[in-house]
Amino acid sequence: MDPLMASMKVASSGLEAQSARLRIVAENLANSQSTGTTAGADPYARKTISFERVLDRASGSELVKVGKVGRDRVPFRVEHRPGHPAADASGNVKMPNVNPLVELTDMREANRTYEANLQIIRQTRQLVSMTIDLLRS
Amino acid sequence: MGPVQLFEFASRQAEWLASRQAVIAGNVAHADTPNYKAKDVVPFARVLGRTQLAMGATHASHLQGGASASPEVEVKRDRAWEISHSGNSVRLEQELIKTGEVNRGMSLNTSIVQTFHRMLLTSLRSQ
Repeated sequence: MDPLMASMKVASSGLEAQSARLRIVAENLANSQSTGTTAGADPYARKTISFERVLDRASGSELVKVGKVGRDRVPFRVEHRPGHPAADASGNVKMPNVNPLVELTDMREANRTYEANLQIIRQTRQLVSMTIDLLRS
Repeated sequence: MGPVQLFEFASRQAEWLASRQAVIAGNVAHADTPNYKAKDVVPFARVLGRTQLAMGATHASHLQGGASASPEVEVKRDRAWEISHSGNSVRLEQELIKTGEVNRGMSLNTSIVQTFHRMLLTSLRSQ
């Protein structure tokens, strides 16, 4: 496979991975207040994402793919809210272990890497059009 | 036969630039993969000094031993700007500078080829 086309493919796999990461961030933020429904039940546990490499046999280059989506094992926050459906006998409710600050930092980083991948695609397209322009002279 | 040799050089450099772009794209895509080490290709001067012979293939599934692409080498630890806690040594800034270099090289390459091509056409037309 042509190296320029291969770099397009690799960069688009990067875009895909980063958008999956953004989706996880969105899920975490959306569920930052999702508690359980029965007394003493566990709330939403924050999701974590990791990436791994995978060899693309057609081009011989390493693509990136989403690895395991895991759960954060940080202990849940506990708030005192008697009367809440998920409150235990002493009136404490377990809240999700989502920290908005961490999520926003993660989002920013995903955004940055996404932009870098876009820039690679843009540059590669420029290289291709420079080569095609040779035929035009 | 100066210009003809120049075309060969130019196409080899274009090939090298394209492989380098592919390696950079790989680095950027893996900017957040744990334990990924940034890679780079060997400098063009060294590629030029070595003749690469393509291996003969007698079957469709035989692999060509990378006769077209220049072999990738890992960036040494001291060449990388920074290594993060996850063992990843890709710095986006460094990679974007490299892709700028590739772009500049390709632009120089194609304009030289274009100029020489025009020159050849001029000499043909004057007959």
